[in-house]
Amino acid sequence: MASPDREERAAPRTWRKPPFIANPLLRYGLLVVLAAYLVWAFGSLPFNWERISEGLPRAARIFGGGFPPTLSRFDLLLTGFTESLQIAILATLLGVLLSVPFAVMAARNVAPLPIYLLGRAVIIVSRSFHPVIVAILFVAAVGFGPLAGILTLTLYSIGFVGKLLAEEIEEIDWGQVEAMRSTGAGYLATLFYAVFPQILPRQVGLSMYQLDSNLRASAVVGIVGAGGIGSTLMNAFGRYDYDFAFAILLVIIAVILASEGVSGWVRKKIW
Amino acid sequence: MLEISNLIKRYGRDEPVLKGLDLTVEGNSVVSIVGASGAGKSTMLRCINRLVEPTSGSIKLNGIELVTLRRAELRRARRKIGMVFQGFNLIDRLTVMENVLAGRLGYVNLFQAVTRRYPAADIERAFVLMERVGIAHYANKRADELSGGERQRVGVVRALMQEPEVLLADEPTASLDPRTSEQIMVLLQSLASELSLPVLINIHNVAQARTYTDRIVGLRHGTMIFDGAPSDFDKEALEAIYGGIEAPEDEAAPAAEEVRDGQP
Repeated sequence: MASPDREERAAPRTWRKPPFIANPLLRYGLLVVLAAYLVWAFGSLPFNWERISEGLPRAARIFGGGFPPTLSRFDLLLTGFTESLQIAILATLLGVLLSVPFAVMAARNVAPLPIYLLGRAVIIVSRSFHPVIVAILFVAAVGFGPLAGILTLTLYSIGFVGKLLAEEIEEIDWGQVEAMRSTGAGYLATLFYAVFPQILPRQVGLSMYQLDSNLRASAVVGIVGAGGIGSTLMNAFGRYDYDFAFAILLVIIAVILASEGVSGWVRKKIW
Repeated sequence: MLEISNLIKRYGRDEPVLKGLDLTVEGNSVVSIVGASGAGKSTMLRCINRLVEPTSGSIKLNGIELVTLRRAELRRARRKIGMVFQGFNLIDRLTVMENVLAGRLGYVNLFQAVTRRYPAADIERAFVLMERVGIAHYANKRADELSGGERQRVGVVRALMQEPEVLLADEPTASLDPRTSEQIMVLLQSLASELSLPVLINIHNVAQARTYTDRIVGLRHGTMIFDGAPSDFDKEALEAIYGGIEAPEDEAAPAAEEVRDGQP
């Protein structure tokens, strides 16, 4: 079919994607500013090339000392990992359980304003610091060891799971809540019947993800003294046992890969 | 007996959705409430069990004033008001039996509710009612596995579990196909007489309102403009209720939003 358009216009029509930033002045201005910043940043940061070149052979020595990795102190590795796993599982359980009430408090549609603000505040505070910083605080407060790790990761879990769960609660089908209220159900009964079943799959998924994430984080917070495999790793480095340290790193990677696989599989099954 | 007098509902500073409504429903009569979207049907029904807070006026159920009730008293009063919803509003992830027993939540304590340890009498009543509407064999099925008509039967049984003194149905058949919706209307009609229960049904389908109810109330812009027997509901009444109304969706939208904003 010959369209009338084609007969009128000889040249083929062209189309180009409209630019993301419509104003050309702004578009090119931003690029210039970005380039200027990069030049300034690289120019002014104190890179000491001498020290970097001195460090390279040292790095080579460390890596060289790491090969081949050795599992000579396997019992130490095992103790460290068991502790990390215990920290991660306990912190996940505590965090996930505690995140439920905080999530309810922080969901605008089921909490009155003062409670909502309190719930949001708790979640914001527990999310504002990286676990390592929290771990440093807890190590100072309760001393070296797994307790500091558990407290750190529990707080971390409350923040993360609580926030996402609160958002999930805010998006539930409100009709079910109305139905429960219309039967004369009280506040808690309404929560248990109309709200929790709706957020359950999300909660399970988040718990699995959080276990995964806590396992990872438990290795990191151990470095600042909060127990687990991180502490073992730090000790190995401190004693120049690079081959053992490398073995630990490899095992951490393996464990995290495995846990990611398992949690992904479980989440897919339950969703 | 349900007595509504001078019921006014206003959302914010807008024009009232209900402008001084009076309605008395006695005995086991089935009353249908018709009107265009945004006429205030749903708001009126929700004012009765206070899912929507009335601005002013009086609603009495068997002598008890509902408008002024607070918290625990309100919950006790709600037990006596069953409600059936357009979207069924079942707890999808729970079983049919759990949904049905949820109708007893106003009677049991939290421990019983959470652990599903309902009194034997409640469970017996649940089975009897489920058998009555033909869904007993679904007791352990998840509610979202049922078809629309079956789901609405669960909704009706849940409301009846409350041992209600009045049954409110907010467009109970609007999400169902014509045949199933007829079945639900027949069910509501016969349950009303079996249990001698007054039933208020919001409905869009005027033909069904005529066939299955004893009385038709017509609302337009928050005012009652028709109240009479189905036989008196003629073309003129139909025109008065639905005629010349443009873009009803625009009027309905803010009302629906407001309803969702309430606190539990």
